[in-house]
Amino acid sequence: MRQLLSRYKGGGQTQTSLPFWLILPTIIVLLAIQVYPALYTAWLSLQEREPTGWTFVGVENYKRLFGTSLFSESIGHTIVFLVGYTSVTLALGFIIALLLNGNVRLSGFYITLLFIPWIIADILVGLIFRLMVVPDYGLLSGILQNPKIIPPNGLSVLTAVRPTPWFGNFAFPPAPAMDFLILASAWRALPFVTLLLLAAMQTVPSEIIESSRIDGANGRQVIRHIMIPLMLPTMVVALFSLTLSGMNGVGMIFSLTGGGPGTSTEVLSYMLYSIGWDRLQFGRAAALALMIAVVNWLLISGTLRVTRLEDRNP
Amino acid sequence: MKRKWSLIIFIALLALVLVACGGAAEEPDFVTWYQYDQDNEDPASDERVGNEYLRNTIPQFNEAFAGKWTWVNQPKAFDRMTTELVAAVQAGGEVPDLFELSNTQDVIDFYRNGTAQDLMEWAQAQSWFSDLDPNGIEACKGPDGKLYCIPISQRPQLVYVWKDRYPDGYPSTPEEFLARAAELKAEGLYAITFFGSTDKGGEGLTRAIWTTISSFGGSLDDGQGNMLLNTPENTAAIEFLREIVANEYAPEIAFAGGFQEEEAFKDASAGSFPTGLFGYRYVNPLTAPDGTAYDKGSAEDMLDAIAAGDVYLTSFLSVEGQKPGCGIDVAGFVIPVGAKNVEAAHDYINWIMSPEQNATWVQGPGGGFPVLKTTQTDETFQTPFYKEAAEAVGSSACRPWYGSLQRPNEAQEVVMNAIYKLIKEDPTADIAEVLTQTQEEYNAGN
Repeated sequence: MRQLLSRYKGGGQTQTSLPFWLILPTIIVLLAIQVYPALYTAWLSLQEREPTGWTFVGVENYKRLFGTSLFSESIGHTIVFLVGYTSVTLALGFIIALLLNGNVRLSGFYITLLFIPWIIADILVGLIFRLMVVPDYGLLSGILQNPKIIPPNGLSVLTAVRPTPWFGNFAFPPAPAMDFLILASAWRALPFVTLLLLAAMQTVPSEIIESSRIDGANGRQVIRHIMIPLMLPTMVVALFSLTLSGMNGVGMIFSLTGGGPGTSTEVLSYMLYSIGWDRLQFGRAAALALMIAVVNWLLISGTLRVTRLEDRNP
Repeated sequence: MKRKWSLIIFIALLALVLVACGGAAEEPDFVTWYQYDQDNEDPASDERVGNEYLRNTIPQFNEAFAGKWTWVNQPKAFDRMTTELVAAVQAGGEVPDLFELSNTQDVIDFYRNGTAQDLMEWAQAQSWFSDLDPNGIEACKGPDGKLYCIPISQRPQLVYVWKDRYPDGYPSTPEEFLARAAELKAEGLYAITFFGSTDKGGEGLTRAIWTTISSFGGSLDDGQGNMLLNTPENTAAIEFLREIVANEYAPEIAFAGGFQEEEAFKDASAGSFPTGLFGYRYVNPLTAPDGTAYDKGSAEDMLDAIAAGDVYLTSFLSVEGQKPGCGIDVAGFVIPVGAKNVEAAHDYINWIMSPEQNATWVQGPGGGFPVLKTTQTDETFQTPFYKEAAEAVGSSACRPWYGSLQRPNEAQEVVMNAIYKLIKEDPTADIAEVLTQTQEEYNAGN
């Protein structure tokens, strides 16, 4: 290495080619694990499996996806899930961060406790939440299914049908199972968001807060006009991160609702899983995966853009 | 000095590697994929019957083929192993020498995806081939007529019934059923529980839903590979299911997924349970209507309840002019394309076809009736359980639910979604409209 560096300092052709050789292993790894699968997925999305082998079908897989009612329904479910999941998580995360930011006794202990959901696999969280609401036998079923508590017939979270949509076929208001799925997902994501927001909160200069208080601002005004604007870039990053994880997560849905009741919690990521693994339609699954990848790419670009803005305006 | 030590360590490691390689099994491995795990000794495991079977028979096989093959089983998740095999064959990855097939519709998947080897020529040359039930052979054939599996066990659907809930026998017509269901409801009980959710890729369709549709004379295809749902028979079957759900003759748990519907039969709150013959091993412990507990927590509970006369097996009801319908699957073996040790797989299949092994396999992983005609007379299958089951199946017209459909997994999901919508989610929806839309969406992909 010393020899290489000395040759590098010496100039000439080695000087120009050394950086290339140094990053070559990374490029090879990226080509193997990122570029090749992406290209293969793109190729696969234009194929259909026949007994004789793969057959080129052009954009037929995309057309078939758009032609199924479940696809448009899943887009609606995905939007409802993402809006619910991100807003509940951010709101609760902000409130908890605010509480921990004060001089609460044993705040270190609370932060440790807060981390528990984060270390549990999402598929297990789904199972735990499912066990709470299984009809007749769930931990909460005795309460929820009691008609005196929830009239007229009580509530069976996993089997209750979705309410009549308010806007055409758009899946709003969501089915109780979707609400519960949002709750379970938010519970699991809460530690990450809370700590992120707590860290951002602690970077807000105390001088500014004290000055505003001297100027007569009350607690709500401090939060509204001082803290939130200063924390906004972090909140946007948290929002994108949550959206990304919500967009791609499938484990929780798999173990909690299985996409049901009916199709009322079938979001795009679960539909992708179902088309690929249940139906064995790899071409169509690849087409859907590419569409989801485009949405992911937009989200990542948004995150990077906001992060760069934050760097430029410290 | 440092170099010397490095050299010594290197030589020691090399020696270890050589010893390890040299000490490996002398006979080649014979690799299988079963949904069972020989190392799982948990008595509460859902798959304890199959697990125990493997635990007992792997040493027997290895002894019988000592010096030739060593059987190595790789346990797989029951609902993922088919996809894993298809993907492994397509990717040119590691595939087993033999795959345990538990679902006949997988044959269509394997045919479409070029996953399984054609076994016709080899099978026809074996002494046991002429002893196979022709229905079993047909179930293993792909649409191209090739033989993609070797059938060992037939798994029909039938109805488990608590005798105290139906003391005068199980209703034979929809009208009789609804009348008895109303009586049971008045007692705070359910007439039936069934897999009513859309969970597991629409698996519920293959069970009670198909049993009902076929008992009404319905089907899901036109015999030419097209989906045909909007028929008077199917509509009548759906109206019957609607009535059951609307009147709460089935418990809410029937729609919760995750096989939770079994719970209502276990505690006898539901009087009947249409499911697979193999279901006996999963539905336990049981509490009879009179409080008798069958609580060994094993597959014996249901067998004990049947032997004691508390539970009986029967065919489903049917409309006039129709035999009760039911679905039927075949369990057996597939040799995947790319299998390294086909000869071992052949030896294994021949071994399983031997009189000493065949009945044990059918009773263990097979969970059904023997396809081998000589095994059907084995004393293993002369118990009350098998006798009642044989009678129930004998009085039914069992056929695979997918008929001529060539994308059974997709069909299963979309049809179950449609039926769930019609019977549970939106019981006022127009049946013809929903069925027509579903069949058109499916047929657009033909």
